[in-house]
Amino acid sequence: MTIDQFSRTIYESAISTGIRDVSWIIPAVQSIHILGVAGVIGAAIVMDLRLAGVLATDETPQAVVRRHLPWMWSALALLLSTGFLLGLGEPDRVLGNMVFWIKMGLVVSAFILTVLFRYPILHPDYRIEHARMAMLVKPMAWGSLAIWAAVIFCGRWIAYTQ
Amino acid sequence: MEPDAPTNALMQMLYDSGVASAIRESGSLFPMLESLHVLMIAVVVGTIAIVDLRLLGIASHRRGARQLTLDMLPFTWGAFVLALVSGSLLFVSNATKYFDSMPFRFKLLTILIAGINMAIFHVTAYRKIGEWDDRLPTPPAARIAGFTSLTLWIVIVFLGRWIGYAAPLV
Repeated sequence: MTIDQFSRTIYESAISTGIRDVSWIIPAVQSIHILGVAGVIGAAIVMDLRLAGVLATDETPQAVVRRHLPWMWSALALLLSTGFLLGLGEPDRVLGNMVFWIKMGLVVSAFILTVLFRYPILHPDYRIEHARMAMLVKPMAWGSLAIWAAVIFCGRWIAYTQ
Repeated sequence: MEPDAPTNALMQMLYDSGVASAIRESGSLFPMLESLHVLMIAVVVGTIAIVDLRLLGIASHRRGARQLTLDMLPFTWGAFVLALVSGSLLFVSNATKYFDSMPFRFKLLTILIAGINMAIFHVTAYRKIGEWDDRLPTPPAARIAGFTSLTLWIVIVFLGRWIGYAAPLV
């Protein structure tokens, strides 16, 4: 089955038709999706800028990550579920769209960076200067912020590309 | 809405301006401005939510509410200015239609109310922040301000998304 046929099968399903038939569902789910984006960005700014040594440097990285990482996971779960609904309603908009797959690739890289560079910090004995790959912590913090920004740009561009 | 000749003339003038036609004629300027606008709204709402949740009594990455506000404020304001600039450019590109859009009008009104809410907070509960800075739960006045702000910004995001759906904006 090609991706086009798969997309068409979803498009013609009862649930997909149902989502499209109620005119307010897609804009409402998109609005919730944007609120999820705000949640991720808020948490990312505080955590990444703390790791970059720019923000809240009088607090330990542990305290900052312990507070904001759970909020980031919740926001990501909200993004995944609302994004899934949007894809279910309009599979033709995303499945064959290169920008959508670039966006997914960027989300996965930001996710991996977050797991690699945040979880060790939650360990009680963690000291940022002794961290494995300590030299990489600052560039990775800036890199992860840049990736999230690129994710948002890709998200908006899905509407303009095929 | 009654026809309002001077305002309509102004909107037509904005629409006819060089900036507006440049945005309309370029295939990528409009989506680029939209992307920047969404990114800046995410920064504004994300950083405001962190402060609002603290005002509601949810502990943040530092004890003091005052220092937390000072941590987040430069990002909120910086992003707000960029959202305003990108939003204005999006507006002029199709000024006549956006001006008539009800979700657009309600969005601006809601931003104004959010500003008033913030101003009220600053002259009331924030004045006495020394008394409740590192205390949880927060005083009722702070909780009301945080709840109002969070609700208004959620409404603003919905209204913003609705601008693109409510009227056939080409």
